[in-house]
Amino acid sequence: MIPALALVAGVALGLVFEPVVPLWLQPYLPIAVVAALDAMFGGIRARLDGIFDAKVFVVSFVSNVLVAALIVFLGDKLGVGAQLSTGVVVVLGIRIFGNAAAIRRHLFRA
Amino acid sequence: MKGKGEHAEGAPDPMVRRALELRGDEHTSHRPRIGNMSTSLLIELFTDHLDSGYAAAARREKDESPKARRRTTAILAAGLLLLGFVLAIAYRATLRQAPDSERVRQALVQDVRDGSALSDSLQRRAQQLSGQLSRQRDAALTASRDGDRAAAEVRRLEEAAAQRAVHGPGVAVVVGDASGTDQVDPNTGQRVPVSVDDNGRIQDRDLQSLVNALWAAGAEAVSVGGQRLAPTTTIRGAGEAILVDLRPVQSPYTLAAVGDPATLLPRFADSEAARRFQSYTGLYGIQFTVRAAKDVRLPAATDPDLRYASPVPPPTTVSTPGSAPAPRPSGGGR
Repeated sequence: MIPALALVAGVALGLVFEPVVPLWLQPYLPIAVVAALDAMFGGIRARLDGIFDAKVFVVSFVSNVLVAALIVFLGDKLGVGAQLSTGVVVVLGIRIFGNAAAIRRHLFRA
Repeated sequence: MKGKGEHAEGAPDPMVRRALELRGDEHTSHRPRIGNMSTSLLIELFTDHLDSGYAAAARREKDESPKARRRTTAILAAGLLLLGFVLAIAYRATLRQAPDSERVRQALVQDVRDGSALSDSLQRRAQQLSGQLSRQRDAALTASRDGDRAAAEVRRLEEAAAQRAVHGPGVAVVVGDASGTDQVDPNTGQRVPVSVDDNGRIQDRDLQSLVNALWAAGAEAVSVGGQRLAPTTTIRGAGEAILVDLRPVQSPYTLAAVGDPATLLPRFADSEAARRFQSYTGLYGIQFTVRAAKDVRLPAATDPDLRYASPVPPPTTVSTPGSAPAPRPSGGGR
């Protein structure tokens, strides 16, 4: 219950305060979102599998976002930022799809 | 699925065997190392979607004390707060990055909608007031015989000028553009209708010819898109929009007509315009249906602008009964 409220509060904070994302941070935002979605779907699946662990969830979320941003940052410096972004999105996208499929199997038995 | 086992036994291809082997023990943490690094990485990518940390944490025994539980909740709440925050600012940033032209367009569309809503409500108010006016006038006129005659004359003229709401049996004709397709705008994610090509679009003269056919078939009153047609009403195109009495109407256009049900429908259906549109449905995919309606309700047309009449000036002299001065003729002032 409290975590759900925290999620709502987070969304509300983001919408109400409308923090201006600095320009240098903007390329990482989509990657951060994909990483966050990956952590989210992973967490839901783990919950359905009965092995959810809050610490693992939070740590995986934060580290996912940071690592994804780091990869893109390095790629930008090396001049292959777009390619590395694609790589990150592909890998995380596959994981999201896989976890979503597992969730679907859990929920609908199909 | 019965072929799975048979294949595993007799599969000559080592790759197939390996894949089946891998699938068999999906849940063990150790998988047999196969081939070179790249294949195993790819296979892991496609089979191991869940962070292995969850499995590891599940194997550790859990600390179930209330303190630990509270800490877990706090960690989870902080993580979810962060997650929601990231999603929300990403949403905001994406919206902000939408091209300015698109935002301006949306604002203009909103302005137009607000404006036409306001105009609609004013129109309704005007209709209500003019209904009230004619009721009061009728009440005032029916006092005397002359008044009665004048009232009947006024009613006749008003009907001819489409100043009264009418209802009765008639026909309803629906004609619409050939259906276009919607496309999703890549920036805003909203569906934007893509215009159909000009051949499938109903033009102002199409509506004109249909309306003329309705009049010719004996319609007593006609409305287009809810706008009653008065003798001076125009139907004309302005860009891609069609204006009826200077108000835009949108596809599909509904033409409603009141008339003798026995003759109106067959005569209209047999008219040249109706047959032409029937053939257009096949040719250009436009929409065209004609049906009889038991009770068509048509509103009054908008009031005509008064060109010559002017308000009666308030009486300036105190009139004494019996020797009242002749009322000044109103009208023709200018």
